[in-house]
Amino acid sequence: MLILFMFIALIAMICLNVPIAVALAISAVIGLIGSEGPQSLVAVGLDMYNGSTNFALIAIPMFVLAGAIMNAGGITDRLINFVSALIGFVRGGLAMINIGVSLFFAEISGSAVADVAALGSILIPQMKKRGYSAPFSAAVTSSSASLAIIIPPSIPMILYAVSAGTSVEQLFVAGFVPGLLGAAGMMLVAYIFARRYNFPVEEAFNLARLKRTFIEALPTFSLPVIILGGIFGGFVTATEAAGLAVLAALLVGAYYREFDLRILKKAMLDGGMQTAVVMLLVAASVLMGGFLTRAQIPQDLAAAMLEFTDNKYVILFILNIFFLIIGFFLHSAAAIILVVPIVIPLIVAANIDPVHFGLVVTLNLAIGQQTPPVASVLIVACSIARANIWDVTKANLWFIAVLLTVLFICTYVPAIPMFLVEYFYR
Amino acid sequence: MLAQVHRNLEWLLEWVVIILMVALTVVVIVGVCYRIAGNSLSWYDEVASVQLAWITYYGAALAALKRRHIGFDTVLLALPPALRKLGVIVGEALVIGFFALMAWAGMEVLTVLEGMSLVSLTWVPIQLTQSVIPIGAALFILCELVSLPGYWRMTADGVSLEHADIEEEVEHELKKAGEY
Repeated sequence: MLILFMFIALIAMICLNVPIAVALAISAVIGLIGSEGPQSLVAVGLDMYNGSTNFALIAIPMFVLAGAIMNAGGITDRLINFVSALIGFVRGGLAMINIGVSLFFAEISGSAVADVAALGSILIPQMKKRGYSAPFSAAVTSSSASLAIIIPPSIPMILYAVSAGTSVEQLFVAGFVPGLLGAAGMMLVAYIFARRYNFPVEEAFNLARLKRTFIEALPTFSLPVIILGGIFGGFVTATEAAGLAVLAALLVGAYYREFDLRILKKAMLDGGMQTAVVMLLVAASVLMGGFLTRAQIPQDLAAAMLEFTDNKYVILFILNIFFLIIGFFLHSAAAIILVVPIVIPLIVAANIDPVHFGLVVTLNLAIGQQTPPVASVLIVACSIARANIWDVTKANLWFIAVLLTVLFICTYVPAIPMFLVEYFYR
Repeated sequence: MLAQVHRNLEWLLEWVVIILMVALTVVVIVGVCYRIAGNSLSWYDEVASVQLAWITYYGAALAALKRRHIGFDTVLLALPPALRKLGVIVGEALVIGFFALMAWAGMEVLTVLEGMSLVSLTWVPIQLTQSVIPIGAALFILCELVSLPGYWRMTADGVSLEHADIEEEVEHELKKAGEY
């Protein structure tokens, strides 16, 4: 009865636009009062502090900062030039460039919203000038930006790993192949659209230009090397890689001599605020987690579900549907913090690899970033393109279908995302 | 008057968050470099964790001032105006009530922790590091109240704050892109 009341209160508060972190914490307070009495409320002071001191989560501000500093330091146009020289000769070149640059950006930044704002503001106006429709331009930018949370580094993956008590590094490695598959699928869709609507070719392939733009963009590639090489090679942890990424971003910015202190200040500020918003959710989840664990709720839920079925593929199917629905209404960080701690005992009991499940969750939430009403990445792209959200969604359906296909493959053929994890870690 | 308080509070919290972010970045980079050099710093983990907590609560107050916390305004904005206003009052009362409780609980914890210090830096009292809970909670309440009139106006007009923020961010990025 108490749990039902907490759940109703949580939903009611979310509907009143109470910040989700606060709504979660208030629900936990209701649970504490109802089960342990008002004297237990001192736990609010303790848990809200302890929840915000999780060392593994220091990777979040560092990755946000590294991406923002790289963006402030003039990498975006160099990356676009390089990818343009690499694949601009294909029909529908600008759409391809958009996806290709997103792929590189995804390896630098952990935030799809930051990527879509930085890339979209340059590429969407160019696409519109070259005859691409506004909805298609927004759709391709929005979907490809979601690769940022699948390909390492990824803030939702860090949050999942901490919530599920699993390895951030292994999750990063697991995201690599699905990210590449997603990018390849989106390029195929863009190519089909380009043939049908006769989108232009950007430039003839020129090896000398490719070489020149590669050398210009070379310092930028230090970040993926540090992040992927360092983590895949087992030299550094995710938090350490994040720290080194900030150092590399500062050095690259200094090398290009394009640092703008105003933008750097904004990067620090945005990074700090984004971190605070996510960390307040984490702290609230620790308060709720303490209550749930004592009340054995996740264990009861796992037992009930296992009575219904113990087939792990059926369980994954049900959870996929659940996360897809949740993705319509919640931001990825909130969805992870609210749901993952509750379903993890079920995942373990059903013998599902928590790393594999983390990838499945991340893919679901990447799709959630594309589905209104709550679809921050899509809304940013629509706003830049000055396009109606429903027109963009119509154009976006094909790209969402690509992400759904990748989700289906990764859910039911775990070997595809997990073979690199097996190779590097097991 | 209120606008002046808003501006001053924003200026103060922005610089606090920037300084905390710079300090965390320096500590993490120095810590990683020492570890790679095979000479790990004993205080690195503990100090960085405390810094993260401080960024959380000072940053959360700033995010409250700018109304940037993750929420879901679709249902509230779909309500008729009178109910919407009632919803805002109830929602705000709940937020302020929670942070008042957190400030009280934080003060209770501080009394219990008297005389204790960090493990790696014994000259740093835990009361100092955990003071962020009552102070952060009080700041959050202040920021929520100062930003309430703006939130009230926008919600009464049926405007989504998230969408307004996105428009602002997009304008900024388009301006930056135009400079390239």
